[in-house]
Amino acid sequence: MTQPPIPPRTPDPEDPLVEQVASAYRPMHPARIAAHPIWHDLSAHGRARAFELATALRKVEAALDPEGLSSTARAVLSRLR
Amino acid sequence: MNEDLDFLVIAIAQGDVHAFSRWLASAEAPLRASLVRFATVVDTEAVLQEAMLRIWSVASRFEPDGRPHGLFRLAVRIARNLAISELRRTRATPVPSEMLAEEPEPTAWAPPDPMLQKVLRKCHEALPDKPKAALGARLASQGAEPDEVLAHRMQMRLNTFLQNITRARRLLAGCLSKHGVQVDPELLS
Repeated sequence: MTQPPIPPRTPDPEDPLVEQVASAYRPMHPARIAAHPIWHDLSAHGRARAFELATALRKVEAALDPEGLSSTARAVLSRLR
Repeated sequence: MNEDLDFLVIAIAQGDVHAFSRWLASAEAPLRASLVRFATVVDTEAVLQEAMLRIWSVASRFEPDGRPHGLFRLAVRIARNLAISELRRTRATPVPSEMLAEEPEPTAWAPPDPMLQKVLRKCHEALPDKPKAALGARLASQGAEPDEVLAHRMQMRLNTFLQNITRARRLLAGCLSKHGVQVDPELLS
């Protein structure tokens, strides 16, 4: 399939951090789920971007999943206690 | 969230994972949205996951108050309290009053449109190998492993892995757009 054109964008130095924080990975500490270690390194703008990106990604993930579950929901289900 | 999911409470309280999955599928998006005011001060993904786990733990003790969306409203309260607690733990300054405000009413949330799912699957299928594999690794890990581990397993450098994730979501967004589906602008960022 011919890929559609993607609009150009200006790279942001925080892009790699935002991409990681927008994932559903979170370390499990004994008592609770902890913040992503990189989250603390993000600026307020980067944190807001990560939130918005995570919101958008989860919709896509849920739509791709046969049970309508995002990676966040899957992470929770894998950690039921 | 249109459908009142409280009919699932009894099954969830009895440990029915399928019922809890169904609740999660509908409650996640509005629950995440309820945390937007905390997005720059606490890691809302961690708070969200913890709140969902606690709902599973406390469902057997949940007592309906007669109003709809009872379990969801409890989840919003738990998530808000976790966020405030985390904020107090990590900050010397008082928590801003706007963050202490009462939780919002449930927001609209519709399940994925079957047509959107069909188009999305087609777009996903058409992704180039490496972006598709990177995205697939993320989904398969179910949030259990950091990107460094996934990248290592795929014999990629972390930055290459992340570039493939970025490329995958941008290509998906471009493809959806081409099929007339309105996409979240963040997917193209």
